[in-house]
Amino acid sequence: MLRRILLLVILAGIAGFGVYWWLAIPATIAASALPVYQPDLANGLTTFNAGGCSSCHAVPKQDDRTRLGGGLAIPSPFGTFYAPNISPDPNDGIGRWSEADFVTALMKGTSPSGTHYFPAFPYTSYQHAKVHDVRDLFAYLKTLPPVAGKVRDHDVPFPFNIRRNIGVWKWLFMDGKPFVADAGRSAQWNRGAYLANSFGHCAECHSPRNFLGGIVSAQRFAGGPNPEGKGWVPNITQKGLSDWSAKDIAYFLSTGQTPDGDSAGGSMVRVIRNTSQLSSQDLDAISDYIKSLPPVEGPPKPPKKPDKES
Amino acid sequence: MKRMVVVAAMLVFSAAGVVAQQDQVKQTQAQMKETGKNAGALGAMIKGEKPYDQATVDVALAKFEDTAKKLPTLFPESIKGLKPDGDYSASPKIWEDKAGFEQHIASFTKSVADAKGKIKDLDTLKAELTVIGKQCGGCHETFRVKKS
Repeated sequence: MLRRILLLVILAGIAGFGVYWWLAIPATIAASALPVYQPDLANGLTTFNAGGCSSCHAVPKQDDRTRLGGGLAIPSPFGTFYAPNISPDPNDGIGRWSEADFVTALMKGTSPSGTHYFPAFPYTSYQHAKVHDVRDLFAYLKTLPPVAGKVRDHDVPFPFNIRRNIGVWKWLFMDGKPFVADAGRSAQWNRGAYLANSFGHCAECHSPRNFLGGIVSAQRFAGGPNPEGKGWVPNITQKGLSDWSAKDIAYFLSTGQTPDGDSAGGSMVRVIRNTSQLSSQDLDAISDYIKSLPPVEGPPKPPKKPDKES
Repeated sequence: MKRMVVVAAMLVFSAAGVVAQQDQVKQTQAQMKETGKNAGALGAMIKGEKPYDQATVDVALAKFEDTAKKLPTLFPESIKGLKPDGDYSASPKIWEDKAGFEQHIASFTKSVADAKGKIKDLDTLKAELTVIGKQCGGCHETFRVKKS
């Protein structure tokens, strides 16, 4: 009798592990799924700017946004990530990647060697991109200067360093759905919705996250504690931006200046360095969309400590 | 008795010191706020909310120049670590990376000097304010901390 129970427990354990293993399989996109295509480099540049690739992957402390040698430290509650080298360097960057490798990395969050990327890489947003935009981006990245130098490993402690677990995380927090245009809205609004939710990945910072690091979807865009540590990320629904006009938002994304003349600080400065390169049409589109976000209450801010000296 | 006088004197002095620090923080904040307000007035013209007005431009540039001149004195070591009222505080990096901070001041000063006499209409305003605005953000990126 006891032996039977033991056997049952072992079998259940194996089955459970099997389900886990199956759930956590890294998804890929096959080269055969990518028909012959003539990439559009100009559109690649637009997606590069909209995607803010250089916000994290550009070599820190220098002004050239096209030197994508990586190295920026990205602190998080789960450890510190170091943005990898995505320059076309064949040894240290992505010079040897196939197009399918790149599309898989961006839209599935899976590396060429078949492991999960940490979601500090915002593939949860990039998954909504259109494949031809991703292919244009790949072609554009290939034109940038190779930067030698491998970036150090992420500093992520156990248990978060078990990459296979990210497969389950993806199953929980990645819907895998392509962007669908809303026929009831204007072309401009739809362009803005597409850019903000795919390449722009605004919600990755401007939303609160649960204890597993997944975005709380009911409070998308409603801001929250800064995932990088100190401070607060603003609520960009109409709860937080009701006194900003669409024009104010576009002006901010182009210059970093708020309506009252203050300037963006912190990580948003890096974002603005990219959005400032977008066409005024795309900026108007994003602003149109952001301005349309219904007011949502964000997580409560911690009570302000009495600001006494020393 | 003597000791009491010394202690009392020390108390008075240190209290005065604290008051002076608080005053310094308030002055710094006022100077920055005023600078921002002027930048906002220029932004309103670029956005088309207000017609182009040379007088507003000249006043704003004068304010920027004033700020550029005062910036090296606005963040004395004595206010390091203070947590003032308002949304922001000064990052300790200002004092840890003095050279980097001063470089930003120099760059801001230069952009303001370059803009002087160049801004004559909306287009030139747009061009010059873009350069100046980048200096604001460039410094705030590292040296200003947003409080929760």
